[in-house]
Amino acid sequence: MASLRYLSIAVVTAASLLAAACATDTGTNGSAPPTAAQNTGNPLPGGTLRLVGGGDVDHLDPTSAYYTVTSGLLRGYARQLFNLNGVAKEAETTKGFAVVPDVAAELPTTANGGISADNLTYTIKLRDGVQWDTQPPRAVTAGDFVRGFKRICNPVAGAGAPGYYTSTIKGMAAYCAAYAKAFETAKPTAAALAAFQNAHDIAGVRAKDDKTVVFTLVQPAADFLNILTLNFSSAAPQEYDQYVPDDATFRQHVISDGPYKITQYVATKSIKLEKNPAWTQESDPIRHQYVNTVEVKMGVTEPDAVQQQLEAGSADLSWDLPVPTAQIPRLKSGDADFKIFPGAVTNPYLVFNLQSKNENGAMGKIKVRQAIEYAINKVAIAKIYGGADVATSLHTAIPPGNIGYQEYNPYPTPGDQGDPVKCKQLLTEAGYPNGLTLIGAFRNAGNHPANFQSYSADLQKCGINVKGLPVRQGDYYGAFLQNPTIAKDSKWDISAPGWVPDWYGNNGRAVSQPLFQTNCAAGTSNYGCYSNPKVDDLIKQALAEPDASKAAGLWHQVDETVMGDAVIVPFNNQNTPIYKSKRVRNALYLPAFQLYDITNLWLDPNSP
Amino acid sequence: MTLTEIRPDAVTDRTIAGRSPLQLAWARIRTDKVALVSGLTVVLLCALALAAPLIAAWNGHDPDEQFRDTGITAQGLPIAPNGTFWFGTDRLGRDLFIRVLYGARVSLLVGVVATGLAALVGVVVGLLAGYYGGVIDTVLSRLMDVVLSFPYLIFAIAVVSIAGPSLTATIGVIAFYSWAAIARVVRGQTLSLKEREYVEAARSIGCGDLRIMFVDILPNLLAPVIVLTTLLVPAAIVFESTLSYLGLGIVPPTPSWGNLLSEAQGFYRVAYWYLGFPAATLLLTTLAFNLVGDGIRDAIDPRTERLFSRRRRRSRSRSLSRSRRKGA
Repeated sequence: MASLRYLSIAVVTAASLLAAACATDTGTNGSAPPTAAQNTGNPLPGGTLRLVGGGDVDHLDPTSAYYTVTSGLLRGYARQLFNLNGVAKEAETTKGFAVVPDVAAELPTTANGGISADNLTYTIKLRDGVQWDTQPPRAVTAGDFVRGFKRICNPVAGAGAPGYYTSTIKGMAAYCAAYAKAFETAKPTAAALAAFQNAHDIAGVRAKDDKTVVFTLVQPAADFLNILTLNFSSAAPQEYDQYVPDDATFRQHVISDGPYKITQYVATKSIKLEKNPAWTQESDPIRHQYVNTVEVKMGVTEPDAVQQQLEAGSADLSWDLPVPTAQIPRLKSGDADFKIFPGAVTNPYLVFNLQSKNENGAMGKIKVRQAIEYAINKVAIAKIYGGADVATSLHTAIPPGNIGYQEYNPYPTPGDQGDPVKCKQLLTEAGYPNGLTLIGAFRNAGNHPANFQSYSADLQKCGINVKGLPVRQGDYYGAFLQNPTIAKDSKWDISAPGWVPDWYGNNGRAVSQPLFQTNCAAGTSNYGCYSNPKVDDLIKQALAEPDASKAAGLWHQVDETVMGDAVIVPFNNQNTPIYKSKRVRNALYLPAFQLYDITNLWLDPNSP
Repeated sequence: MTLTEIRPDAVTDRTIAGRSPLQLAWARIRTDKVALVSGLTVVLLCALALAAPLIAAWNGHDPDEQFRDTGITAQGLPIAPNGTFWFGTDRLGRDLFIRVLYGARVSLLVGVVATGLAALVGVVVGLLAGYYGGVIDTVLSRLMDVVLSFPYLIFAIAVVSIAGPSLTATIGVIAFYSWAAIARVVRGQTLSLKEREYVEAARSIGCGDLRIMFVDILPNLLAPVIVLTTLLVPAAIVFESTLSYLGLGIVPPTPSWGNLLSEAQGFYRVAYWYLGFPAATLLLTTLAFNLVGDGIRDAIDPRTERLFSRRRRRSRSRSLSRSRRKGA
């Protein structure tokens, strides 16, 4: 498994080197116009890439940005030590899971001395020529990365998933606790925050010199490099000390170390990125600077309207809206600009509120949950999202593309279409021969109401009546599912959220741990408060296991235990349908963000 | 000048007889073809709504039954209208015809119940305010102003977030919004009616306030109240659809026209029937109710001029041409 990973990295690196070579060719020989049909070929620089969609970014500050759309834009203006590459073809999607160096000069290994023998110390050398867009341009230093890590748990706009850092880096948990304590009552002004950050150190994050960052871990973490690819791990220039993280002033003064810089940001209306003069092609192994300008226009909230604009050529990419489900069959039959990239997600799945006291605590009874496992028609649910091309039935808690995945089907039903008879039988065994009534919470937007009606019709067939509880889309996760008080008050019994991991491949920390490890605190992703000491123990072992194949075995055991306990009903693994305008060339798909890479595509001036 | 001269087609029997106001109204409305057709449409819609379970039983399609094999393509697209599914199917493979019928039940129920509640509250509040005047009038009138100036969608969203969406919440919100309009009209009428001699007479022989309000004044208010109520029903139906469309009204899978429209919005480019039939039915219903309301107003209160009344214009031009002929 490990060797396979490195092989794919090698391939991707080679491919990007090749692309870089093409780019230098264009500089001298850019007059040859490409034919309309070719997708790669000599990139022609210039033009304005237009993205159209509904909402605003969640944050512009790399430390707190978490939305995938923000991540897609951030790729243009904020760099991390390591990163992921986009892929050109659907079949190559898994290649996009492999970590490649970004600001780091090379991938650290035990062989090249980057990783210590005990797997606890990572020494990372920075690449030359990476610069901030300051006057005059200034080199990105190891100290800038240390500052970035110190900002992760700032109390104003910290990282959305600090757990990845506190559970791996030595002294991070203590630092974050001290940070939170210091601002329990104190007013978090820019000066006070900066003073705290500059006066306190994280034991496990050090700048050995301007060009070397050293991380010390609490225990071996085979996925540590993946954590370093996240937005939260971006470098931060010293100028950021002047602002309260991600406030309105900060958003007007974002400093770029990538190929593009933000030249205009109007909240909820538009974002404009232009070429960053401080960036050089030699200093960046994964990005390019083909288009002159990137423009994001917000306020178009209808997927259909965006799709029409893309097809008419008045916009190039969708900013945050999906391809409309109803259009997929038409696009699939012969539109070259439409692609479906394979997914590696559990989306949607049915989660049980194990704390609910409704119907004599039915959700706490394993037989009832197993009955529901048999009831669901997964093919019908796939149809809501566009049929088998877009969503495939999922039987495992860990979806393909994620560590620990092995195909097996603990609750088989004929053709994945549900088995009401088996469901009824188990319900009777559980003591509910006359059925029961459950509360099903659903988001009242998009495809979610249809999904709710589909699975509740399945449950109806085996005698389970589901009462709908609509929840506003914006409240669904933060204010509803992740609030264990609501679960404890038996306000809901079942619901169908989705899970898209923060990274793929070696990602037990981003899938099984958040979903299944005992955690009933506010903000949990274990919405139903499932708790099994055996699972907790397996997760602990798997996270500490340096050998990838052994770790995979342990994660698979987590999967089997969780499915045995029937904690969730995995519905589908959803693929990503994605559309681009005709003139977009070299569109490389980033699986982690489910978007095309804006730093590698170019616009064909010969296309309308 | 006799009645027959003014409205030659209003009365067929030429014998002169005393007529009650209701008889007069009926005589007038009978000649209003638009109102009659609209009235018939309303009756037909109500009948279809009432008969929805019978129709569903007859063709064997439950409103919530999902025909996953025959009612939906492998890629999740609805099926166009055909012999089995008269209005086609929706995105889950349910019979749209049956769902539109069942949606009519919800929409009409909400429309009628909410308007009824609003009329009840509106009449009582308007009577009290108009009859007593003074502080009571000031307080109640300001209350009406407040209600009328509320941004209704924001209020609806607030109520639904607290109470949770349901049929009762929907009816409550709509009734809350509609009573003030009725109360205002009733208050104004009461103000002028309470100065009439018959009210004075009633008071002088020692009738109580309640008796005067509800026995003497109320019957004289019925005409405008009936008209207003009829016109509020379609408004309530549209309001319900708006709420449901926004996911704040009726909870799925219960079909209401707003829910159907909301579900259809992603499909209008590939499935015209999905949006078309519920929208057309909603349009037809509100139009019919509005025209019936107009007709009743014309019939009950002939003094109010209707802007686009063909009948009036025709009769006017007829009498005009007659007078011209006379002159010539």
